[in-house]
Amino acid sequence: MSIEKGKISSQQLLFLIAGFVQGSVLLIDFTVGLTEHQTWMVILAALAITTPVVLSYAVLAKRFPGMNLVQINDMVYGRFLGKVVSVYYIFFFLMTLSFNIRDVGELYTTFLMPDTPFVFLLVVFTATCTYAVTKGIEVLARISHLFVVTGIFILISTFIFLIDQMDFSKFLPFFELPFIRIFQGIHIVSMIPFGETVAFLIIMGCLNNTEHVVKNTFFGLLIGAVSLLIGAARNTAVLGRTQTIWTSPSFQSIRLIDIGTVLTRMDFLIGIGQTILIFLKCSLFFYVLVVAISQLLGLKSYLPLVLPLAAIEVIIAATVYQSPVDHTMITQNAGIIYSTPLVFIIPPLSLLIAKIRGLPKSERGKGT
Amino acid sequence: MIFIILIYAFIIIINVPGLLKRKEWRELTAFSILYVIALVLGLMYVLDIPIPSPMKGLQHLIVDILGIEYPQG
Repeated sequence: MSIEKGKISSQQLLFLIAGFVQGSVLLIDFTVGLTEHQTWMVILAALAITTPVVLSYAVLAKRFPGMNLVQINDMVYGRFLGKVVSVYYIFFFLMTLSFNIRDVGELYTTFLMPDTPFVFLLVVFTATCTYAVTKGIEVLARISHLFVVTGIFILISTFIFLIDQMDFSKFLPFFELPFIRIFQGIHIVSMIPFGETVAFLIIMGCLNNTEHVVKNTFFGLLIGAVSLLIGAARNTAVLGRTQTIWTSPSFQSIRLIDIGTVLTRMDFLIGIGQTILIFLKCSLFFYVLVVAISQLLGLKSYLPLVLPLAAIEVIIAATVYQSPVDHTMITQNAGIIYSTPLVFIIPPLSLLIAKIRGLPKSERGKGT
Repeated sequence: MIFIILIYAFIIIINVPGLLKRKEWRELTAFSILYVIALVLGLMYVLDIPIPSPMKGLQHLIVDILGIEYPQG
């Protein structure tokens, strides 16, 4: 039995995925320190590597219509091993959500509201996400296109405002950095913005029609990736190598906008864009987390778990790292290594096992 | 401290009466377990008791014990 009663269309899925990936624009900063002016190449390489894997999620969802990740794990790996795999995923969702909530707090205390207590920002933001999650996936899906359009509008407008300050020779020289740094950069980008879309294996269970799910997943991923690419290209063209010394290259480049001394200090645009896109991402992650736990425990509804989990998330977000530097250091190593099997190995393996065992048809055959 | 108590009281008021009324014992058990975890973490936070970070443990396991790490620099 599925926990969620609401249904979304595959077109809404496209916008949810696009907004979800766009919500990670600031997280590209994790890789900028490593890959410097070649970040745009890293994004393209990570997209090429991750696309087949993300499409395998869509194929898996199409093969198991109406079922979420926890149900699929139970069916493919058996009741015991399936639950172990699901717990591994739940840990990933729990931690990733706390990092994203923390990112919002760091964004506000560093750039926008430095005198506001960190934990207060976390509580307010998490409360907003909690409210969205209690309304269900349908509501988030209905507003997702507004968020995506706003994100694209901000990216394009800031790009145009900065054109006079861009110097495309700052992209040179190509292929200068050591391979291992490029490889690590590709690993980070393929795990953080793109690989986190594994969370959609919970949401895809709510699709009313899985006919166009592969196509819409691909286009959603592509819109998100192009947004990341525009942001990375803009920062490199404006800041060049100096982008590695800033806490947030996006904020720094937008601060340079100066149109006739009238349009200045446009960094509030990034603040607005990031807040709404991280809100969408965190709400989706929170939704996925509560649905996965409720499904694992066999509950009728996920609503009773939302508030206690929100409280847990706030405390984890406030204490998991000591500083933004600590955050970056751990994410660049353990953070991406522990989650690699969840993104790159388990879903394609589930698909392969389902194909070999003829699931879910044989299971249905047994039931009838 | 008072703020934390008010928030946690609010969580109980919102959830528990409905669960009891509908006799959803499984949901009530799951809620209670998560609530106790949240309460303990909340109290530890306001009382400044260090909360162990799961990511530090994971970092120790992956980098120090298993030796899987990207070279620095």
